[in-house]
Formats: sequence, C-alpha cells, structure tokens
Amino acid sequence: MKIKKAVITAAGPQQQHLPLQTLVSPDGETKTVAAFLLDEIFASGIESAAIIIAPGTQGDFTSAVAQHLDKITLIEQSEPLGYGHAVLQARPFTGSDPFLLMMSDHLYLSFAKKSCLQQLMAFAAQTDGPVSAVQPTHESKLPFYGTIAGTPVPGLQGLYEVSRIIEKPTPTVAEQELIVPGLRSGNYLCFFGMHILNHAVMDHLEKSFAENGAPLALTPSLDAVADAERYLACEIEGLRFNIEEPYGLLRAQLGMALAGESRDEVMGTMIELIGATRR
Amino acid sequence: MLVSLITSEDADLRDRSLAEACDNLDAEALLAECGELDAFRRASDNLYHRVRALFFLQAIYRYHLPGKLPPQAPGAIPFAGYEDLLGRHFEEAIDVFLAVQQKEGASDAISSALAAAYHQLAFQTLANQVRRSVRTVRGNQWMFRMGHPADHPLRIRPELLKTTNHLPPVLCERTPVRMDLTHSAWSDIFFLGMDFPQGARVVNVSIDLAVHGRDASPKPPVEAYLRVIEEPVLRLTSIDLRTTATISALADVFDFAKDYLGLLKAAVIASGIVPPGIEGSGKSLADLLARLAGPGKGLELISSVNDIPKGSRLAVSTNLLAALISACMRATGQTQSLTGELTESERRLVLARAILGEWIGGSGGGWQDSGGVWPGIKLIEGEIAGETDPEFGISRGRLLPRHKVFNVEEIPETARQALTDSLILVHGGMAQNVGPILEMVTEKYLLRSSAEWQARQNALDLLDRIVEALSRGDIRTLGRLTTENFRGPLQTIIPWATNHFTETLISRVSEKFGDDFWGFWMLGGMSGGGMGFIVDPSRKQEALNLIHGIMLETKGQLENALPFAMDPVVYDFEINPHGTFGSLATGEDALLPPSYYPLVLGDSLRTPPADLSPARRAELDQFAGACQTNPAFSDSVQTLFDALIPRTAGKDGEVPSLDLLLKKNGFDRAQHEQIRKDLLEGRIGLAQNRLPATTVIKDVAPNDVTDFSGGPSTDNLVLGEKALADGEVGVITLAAGAGSRWTQGAGVCKALHPFVKMAGRHRTFIETHLAKSRKRGHEAGPPVPHLFTTSYLTHEPTRLFLEHVENYRYPGPLHLSPGRSVGLRMVPTVRDLRFAWEEMPQQVLDEQQQKMRNSLRAALLAWTQSAGEASDYTDNLPLQCLHPVGHFYEVPNLLLNGTLAELLTERPQLKTLMLHNIDTLGADVDPALLGHHLASGTGLTFEVITRRLEDRGGGLASVDGRPRLLEGLAMPHEEDEFALSYYNSMTTWIDLDQLLALFELDRDDILARDEVKITAAIRKIAHRLPTYLTLKEVKKRWGHGQEDIFPVTQFEKLWSDLTTLPDINSRFVVVPRLRGQQLKDPAQLDGWLRDGSADHIASLCEWS
Repeated sequence: MKIKKAVITAAGPQQQHLPLQTLVSPDGETKTVAAFLLDEIFASGIESAAIIIAPGTQGDFTSAVAQHLDKITLIEQSEPLGYGHAVLQARPFTGSDPFLLMMSDHLYLSFAKKSCLQQLMAFAAQTDGPVSAVQPTHESKLPFYGTIAGTPVPGLQGLYEVSRIIEKPTPTVAEQELIVPGLRSGNYLCFFGMHILNHAVMDHLEKSFAENGAPLALTPSLDAVADAERYLACEIEGLRFNIEEPYGLLRAQLGMALAGESRDEVMGTMIELIGATRR
Repeated sequence: MLVSLITSEDADLRDRSLAEACDNLDAEALLAECGELDAFRRASDNLYHRVRALFFLQAIYRYHLPGKLPPQAPGAIPFAGYEDLLGRHFEEAIDVFLAVQQKEGASDAISSALAAAYHQLAFQTLANQVRRSVRTVRGNQWMFRMGHPADHPLRIRPELLKTTNHLPPVLCERTPVRMDLTHSAWSDIFFLGMDFPQGARVVNVSIDLAVHGRDASPKPPVEAYLRVIEEPVLRLTSIDLRTTATISALADVFDFAKDYLGLLKAAVIASGIVPPGIEGSGKSLADLLARLAGPGKGLELISSVNDIPKGSRLAVSTNLLAALISACMRATGQTQSLTGELTESERRLVLARAILGEWIGGSGGGWQDSGGVWPGIKLIEGEIAGETDPEFGISRGRLLPRHKVFNVEEIPETARQALTDSLILVHGGMAQNVGPILEMVTEKYLLRSSAEWQARQNALDLLDRIVEALSRGDIRTLGRLTTENFRGPLQTIIPWATNHFTETLISRVSEKFGDDFWGFWMLGGMSGGGMGFIVDPSRKQEALNLIHGIMLETKGQLENALPFAMDPVVYDFEINPHGTFGSLATGEDALLPPSYYPLVLGDSLRTPPADLSPARRAELDQFAGACQTNPAFSDSVQTLFDALIPRTAGKDGEVPSLDLLLKKNGFDRAQHEQIRKDLLEGRIGLAQNRLPATTVIKDVAPNDVTDFSGGPSTDNLVLGEKALADGEVGVITLAAGAGSRWTQGAGVCKALHPFVKMAGRHRTFIETHLAKSRKRGHEAGPPVPHLFTTSYLTHEPTRLFLEHVENYRYPGPLHLSPGRSVGLRMVPTVRDLRFAWEEMPQQVLDEQQQKMRNSLRAALLAWTQSAGEASDYTDNLPLQCLHPVGHFYEVPNLLLNGTLAELLTERPQLKTLMLHNIDTLGADVDPALLGHHLASGTGLTFEVITRRLEDRGGGLASVDGRPRLLEGLAMPHEEDEFALSYYNSMTTWIDLDQLLALFELDRDDILARDEVKITAAIRKIAHRLPTYLTLKEVKKRWGHGQEDIFPVTQFEKLWSDLTTLPDINSRFVVVPRLRGQQLKDPAQLDGWLRDGSADHIASLCEWS
C-alpha cells in the first residue's frame, strides 16, 4: 500500500502552541516541532499533508511550516468535539485514500537506520489494511495511551494482528483483555502516535458522529475496524516523546541532544547543573 | 497400594474410602504404606496428589494406626519437632518426628505428632495454592507489581472531582446479601471447587433485608459510599461499628487490627487504590493519592450494613467487602459505568477482588459468598480449568466459579413470589466460628470417607430437585427437600450442622404448625445462626411473630448452655433483581446516611468557623439543611447532641452490681490489693510462676506409676465392687469453670452444653457424667452420690437447668457445691503480655494472619497502657470481670459450704470420692481402679495418661527426685514438658479421712459445720500451695453480635499441687487414653466422634 497523504492533528487545547515550539535537532539544526514532523513526513515519500488546527491559529502555523507550505492544507476544527472529530475534518482531504495520521504533540527518535516513520511505512507497504505503530509500554503509563491486544504475525518480527483496541485502559482491564504473548509482564502494546489508516476508519467515524454526536473519539472506530478487517500493529525501534506531558519538551530536547553531535557538551552541562543544584 | 487411590485414572478407585482401604492392614502394613505415601508426596509435582497424600498420612497416624500398635512403653515427642511445628516449619517437623519413629519405633505419642504435622502441612499447601491462584487471576496481577506512587496507573473518574459549591459528589453502591437455597454441602470451599469442580454447585439468591418489627421494608442491606475529599488522606468510616479513622500513612492502611476498619482497608487494597504491591515501600500516601485524585486530594470510604447482625450466614461481610470494592473500582474507572448494574465480567472481577480482600484481611469464606453482586436467583458452579487459565495443570478446577442467572422463563415470577410468601428467614442468635467446620469438610472430602462421599453425591442430586421444585413454584416440595438435605447429607458430612437449639426450634415450630410447616432450611456454616422455616403462605404472617417468640423462649432456656451472641431476630426479605447497583448524587443531594454525621461532625463543630475549610463549612450547611427538610434526618440533631455530650448514667448502673457480686461471692479486697502490689512490683508474674531454673525435672521412673494403660487389673475388683455396693463412694465433677476454650470466653456453662448426640439426643456434659454414675450404681446396688462443684458463674444456671430437666431423673443423691471464693480480673501488665507473646513458644500463623495478630497485639498493648496496668478489669458485664480462683478450692469448698456435711449425713459410710474434670468424659467409678486405690491405702490416687502432642500444660514429673504433678506454668523450661511421658488427667481418687487429716479436720468438724475452724484449716493448706498468675481471654460483646477478645490477668491455686505436700500420700496410675483424655475444644469433637471415643463413652452410660 503506497501512502501519499498525511494528517496531523493540532487542534487540541494543549496542542495549539506546542507545534510552534523550537528544538535543536541531533545534527544541530533549530526548527519548530511542526517542522520536525513535516520534514520526517516528506522525507518518507509522502506528497501532501493536512494539519487540523484550532480556529484562530492559522497564522502561527503558516509561519511555522513555511518551508513546506505548498504541500500543506490547514483545516480548522471549528469546535473541540473530540479527537475522532478532529480526524474526521480531514475527510475531504483524504477522500478514499489511505493516509498517515500523526499527532502534533509527539516527537520521535529512531534507534534504527530508518526513521520511526520510515519503519512504519515499510510495514505498511506490505499490507493493504490499517497499521498502527506501537511500542511495549509499562502499565503505569496506561492512563496516557490507546492500547491494543493482538497476536504476533508468524515469521514477521514486531508485527501483530490487532484484535482489540481500548483507549487508556486501567491495568485491570488491560490484564484481562490486552495481554500480548511475548511481552514482559506488566507491559502492553501502546500506540506510538502514528497510524496508517484507511477510508473504513473515516466511514466509521462519520457513522458514529451521525448516530451518537459529540464527543467523538477515534479509538472506538479503530476498534470497530480491527473487528471488521485485518488491522496490523508494528513495533517501532525508537523513542516517542509526548511533549504535552510535564517536562515533555525538555525530555525530547535532551533525547535529541544526547543522540547527536552535542552529546558530550550536553552531558557536561547536565552534570554541572546536578552538582550546582545539589541540596 | 494407597498411593493408587490418589493416582488412579479410574474414578471408582480414586474415590474409594481410605478407611475401607486401611481396615485390613495391620500396624506394620500401615507403616509401610505411610513410608510409600510420604515418599510419593515428596516426589510428586501435582499439588492435589501431594495434598491428598498428606491427608491420608494425617488420617492414618490419627485414626488408623494408634489402635493397631502393640502395647508398649510411652513414646516421647521431641521438643525440636514441636518448635518446628510452632514456627510453621512443617517439613522439618515431619523429618524430626519420622527420625524418632525410625529409631524408637512407632508409638501413640509420635503418631499424634506426625498427624498434627501432616494436617497442618496439608492445609498450608492448600492455602498457598488458593493464594497463588488469587494473585494470578487476570486483573489482579498488576496490583502486586506496583510499588511506587509514580507508577500508579489508576485515576479517579472526572465525574467525582466536580464539586458543586464545595460539595463533592457521592458515589453510593447498594448490594443485596445472598442466601444459599441448597446449602451447597460446603462445596463452595475453594479447595473443593478447585479439585472437584463438577461437585461444586450452589443455588444462591440475592435478597434485600429488613429486621421484622424494626425496619419499614426490605432494602439492600449493604451500602458503601465514596467521595473525594480536600485532604490528602484516606478517611474510613464504618457506620455500624461507630468507628471512623483518618489515615495519613501508607503503613496504617495495611494495619488491619488497629481499629475496626479492617474490611474497609482490605477493600481499599483489593480494589487497587492502594495496591498490595506497595506495602512496606515506605512511600507517602499523600503522593499516591495525588497521583490518583490530584494534589492535596484524598478519598473517603464509608460502609453501612443497616444494623444487620453479625453471623447471619447471609455473607453480610463478604458482600459488604464486595460493595466497597465495587465502589472503589467504579471510582477509578475499572468498570465501564460509574452507576447502574455491573457487567458480567465486572462482577467476576469484583468477586476475584473480594477473594483477594478476604485473603488480605486474613479471613475467607466460600466462593458463593459474593453472590449478592449478581442479581436474582443463580446457579453457581465450579468450572474445569482450561488451557488458558492460570490454574491449568495445577488444579482440576478454576478458582472462580461460573454464575448462571436464572431468567423468568426458567424460574417464573410466581415461583419467586411463592418462595417469598412461604419462607421465614431468621437469625437464631448464635454466632460461631465456622473455621473448624470448613477444615473438617475439606479433610473428609479428600479422604473420601464413604458415608460422607455418598452424602455429597446425594446433596448434588437434591440440588437438581430443589431447582426443579423452585422452577415449578412448588414450595411445599422445596421445603421437604431442604429438610431432607439438612437431615441427610449435611448431618452425615458434619454432625455439628445441627445442635440442640436448632432441633428444639424445629420440633416446637413443627408442633405449632403441624402440616403447615413445610420444611426447615439450614443456611450454611454452623448451626444456630441463619436458618429458614418454610410454612404454608396462609400462615406466614402469624408465623413471623410466633417463630420469633419460640426462638426467644428457647434461647432463654439455653442461654447459659450455648454461646448466644444476641437475641434471635426474624427478617423480612425480598429477592433483589439487580445485584450490586451504583448511583451518583451531586450538589445538595450528595448526602451520606444520617447516622454518619454524628460520627464525624463533632470535630467540625468544635472548630471555630473561621478555621473550617470551605468544604467543611459546606458540609455543615448541607447537614443543617437536611435536618430541616429531609425526613430521614429528623432525629439527627438529637443524635448529634448525644454524641457531642455523652451521658454517663448507664455506666453508674453497672458498678453497684459488680460490687454486689464481689461481696456476695467472698471477694477478699485486702488480698486483691496485695496481689496488685506484688504484680506491679514484679514479685509475681508469668515469669515468676516458674520453678527455679536449677530445678531438676525428669521423667518418672517405671516404678513411680502403676500401669493400667491396657485396662485396670482385676486383682482388687472385688474390693471395689464391695465399696460400691456398700455405698462408700461418691463422685465430684468439677463444673465451676466456664470452659474458656470451649466457647472462647463466652461465659456460658460448659457443663450444660448439649455437645453431642448420643442415643438419639443431644447430651450435655452433666447428663453424660450422671449417666455413667447411674450405670455403675445400677450395677452395684445403691446409687452413687454425685456432686457438681459450681461457681458464681455456673451455680445459678446449673441449678435452674437441673431443676428444668428434673435432675435427669438421677436416682441417687445429687448436690451442687457452690464456690466460696472469687477474684476480680485485672488488666494485664505489659511485662506479662510480652512474656506470653515473646518469651513463650508461639504458634506462628500464616503470613496474613500473623500480620493481623501482630497488629492486634500492638493494639492490646496500647489498651493495657491506656486502661492502666494491673488495674481492675471492670469494662465488661460484671460476671465477665470476676474469675474463679483455681480448682484447688473446689474440694475445700465442699467442706466449707456444707455440701459434704449434707452428704455425710445421707451417706455416713462414704469413704472415697472420685474427683474429675467436666471434660474428662471417660472417667467413671471403675470398680477395678477403685479397688486398686483402696488396696493401696493411699490418700490421693491420681490418674495419668500417656502423652500426645495436644496434651499440654504439665504432667507427671520427677522434680528434684520426687514424683509429683507439675503444672505447665511452673516448668522452668518449656522443653522440660516434652521429656515427660504422662499427662495429668486430673481424675483423683480421694480417701476422705486422709484428706480431712491433711486439713487437720475430722468428720465431726464437717458435720458440726464449724466454719471458722474449717476456714482456718483451708487457709493454712492454701498458703503452702503456689499461686499462679495466668492470662485468660475474655469476650466483650457489643453492637449487633460483635465480639472483642481481651487478655486479662487472674490468679489460681491448683488441685494437682497437693502432690507437693509430703503430709499426704499420693500415688499415680496410668489409665487407658479413652478414660483419661479431655475434650477441651469443639474442634476436637469430630475426631473424638471418629476415633471411637464417643462410642466408648456411650458404652459407659445408662440414660434416663
């Protein structure tokens, strides 16, 4: 499956300004979070992207992504009616095509030669259905993520066939419904923040919104699609930074710095700070 | 051969009774089988094979081997093995005992030790497995992994964080209780359900309840409330126990016995709010709550059971735990919906958590007990473990059963209504510990004792028939079947499923209602608590009051004989169609039950308004508003006022009655003050009871005893028979004590307890002793005079009881000898409590129970200090504050109170008295033993028996070279007792004239009733005997069937210390075990019935 379109959600109350924050990349370049995402998206072969934004933030985004402006469509979500509703705003843009869905408050650092997104795209190229990037996550982080149950696809390391998706499950539910063979005890496959989705997801979102109205979440639609067709999840070799969490931005910056040319300098600064602030 | 009974694939062979298989084996063959079984259980990796082998070994050593051993010298039990047992090192204990058996040959003593060790190891193994299973249930595992607040994965649902004018929303969970329509024959014990899932079946009905005549209408009796508070603490309140606690330290959440809030704490833990994995982490509770509910926030959890009495057999506690857990799980998003009914998978999870909570709290019922979580009528069945279950490969069944809720097609509404219209649900008033029963059932199941195994099959058949009758709405048949179940399977498996009280009720109700009494229904566990009477619906209203009256009257007649915890009650009930149900109240409606406020508002009212937090002020406003407008709060102002300004009048009422009792019973205040002074100054105490460490304690030599252990010699039979025929012998039964171990300090008369059915009726201890004397008298000619010594506690009840039963038509002289001295119990000293708990060897309990015990002991030490060490113990019913001063005084009392004079007037020829304990059931006036005593010319002949592991508390010893009876309290070292071969049965043949001579008295002094002379004589001898300080447990009852047990200090002088006096000649005879053994604990009853003891006693009796 060849993916040509991407959708980035940036309309949430906390997300409106985060994509505009600047960070220094591992190779020393200073750019906004949005630019980080878009650079990775377009480097993976995707041709156009839509960003779902909150009303009144168009100007900020336009300047933040100036470099890619010709390939970008900004779509306003007029009211905050749920994450699923934000995704649904991209329906005119995606049409019946499959698309990449990313969140503007997540940044990624790959452990492999390929970037995190390229790893996902490589898996997606081998299948026709939806694929979500996942990562084994400790149960204490369950309140933050959508979590899947699945079985490993024989012969394909890191690929799972998804049977169930639950948004922010309690560990009680996770233990009963979401245990995946092969994972360490107390760890579950949680969403990594990037998905390859298809029109079936959009169709289901549309139907749910028509039937139940707001708030419209994304996960129930993903779960319904997983029930109806083959839905895969792939483990990504990399780190995910949720910059919305307290110190999330700092953590992302440290991760990038320690993975790049300035590693020694940053470590020296950290040690110096630790010593100077000792209580 | 016996191993094949465990391993066979053939169910018929596997279900063969062990007893049958052992019947034809002699001692040697049995020992060989034991060797094989022991090797098998050590090698087997199958849990249930191991456990069954352990039970086989226990049964062989306890029941089958001892009777087949050849007569031999008494064996010894090594102290090292005993210590291992106390420390729960069962494997090591078994090795020590087996080594002794190997070296010295099998003996009765070592068999008893091995039986005890195998028994405890078997239960330990089973308990460990249930615990492992509870931990491995999916949905529970994570809680054992979480060890840091930062890892807490739960969050309080946002709905509960939205306050309205500072008033937080209140989540309320209402849960019915459950009644077990088929009793289940205890098949819901976890061990049974996991080994024999196809036999674990119960029909369980969720019901709402009201106490008839007190409450307006039935409602779910169990309620739990939860809300978020603006303080980083856990506030726990039990409305029924009138207790509240604010917990700010994590360690206190795990301290179960610190207060009465153990159940709420267990719920907080089992629901994952404070997961068990974080215990002992030293982390901050406030941090954990901040993670859960937000910075600075805490939780309040409140329980209420609407004053439903404890011990109802309706699983009130388990359903309350389930309700609390359910509320906590809803609040933390572990259920889909915050309110309404639960889904099936959520109910199962609540059940799993309730089992976990019971384990954490150190208690445990059956798996059907959380039945109230489910709606209506359901069949609960064990399930075979499947490949994906954690139990697979370990046990045949799963830990959690399957619930099938009957729909209205299967059991129509009319049938449900018919059941409600006919059934009278009651609580008889007795609340007893069912623990021993559950152990008996498990053991019998694993041994496949043939009658019990057949009974279990019959119970399963009856269950199907009961369901069928219910689905037809045929309640008359249902009543017949529940009666059949009670009379047949239940009593076959456990004879103690009935008692004299229950039988009397059934017969009186039957008499009153004739054909309109359709059946009796036993509600589970022990008898005398929850039960049901099924009557023709046209007579139900009449029956409600009549049965209540019958129960009250019967209780009145038996309350000194049986341990009642409260007055009987009758319930109104309705079948609950929802199961557990949640609701959310917000704003002004977010009220807690009216009786909550007096418990907690005191502090707020005493605080200046300016210092109150907005939330507290809002709550006061809300309460004030409710008092004016909400009818449920109409009495609240008065209740709050009473709580703030308690009245003291009630207390004053008790003091004179205690003083009166002390005066009436010869309390010696001067001596009491001296004892207190000595105690506080450390001159007396538990440690000072002991003989000096330099005393040489040895076992007696063979010629120090005359051995009649194989049965008395008939050499002097004629002498004994003649004495009996001449009316020269009388019997003294010591019945002054309350039998503390028998009822755990409930303060009833053990002598009057109808403890066993013999010859078709329940018999009391008194009746049994009289029946033996009747028989001997009948055989000899003149009836044997029989005296019962009594005390302030037992005299009046015994007198009235004997009057009521017309002295059991005893043909001979029958006298009661009232006590003439009494002590006042004291609060123990910390020093003595620590000595008892830390210096004396202690039975280590299993992990959770040990935690509970440690916590309880810390609380008791605190109580001792706050109440005042060695102060008078007066905070209980007056009778519970007094104590008898030891059985030494019981014979002197006969001299003092005129009873002996009376007897001597009737029987001037009286020469010999046989004195024995109320619980030495085998003691009778055996002419051969009597003849031996007479021929020896001895003043006192003491009967001893060879020792078994359970025979603790002293024995016959050579003390510095002189044989005498030595009390356990006086042993310089604990291990000294284990070197002694013989245990003191207390039965003593007394030469009356020699005894009087010891006191420097004669028959004329007695007949002249010269009290001054006799008192002086007694004091003189008493002064020469040691005074022992002891700790006893005393029950304090309160609330609705609640009981607390306190240790208290008292003093005693003991009869067996007469053997220390050189002025009277004492000799010792070894008698058969069946004659000398004592029945001290109800838990011994079943073994006593099974090992032939009961049959032996029955053969000695002639009933009126």
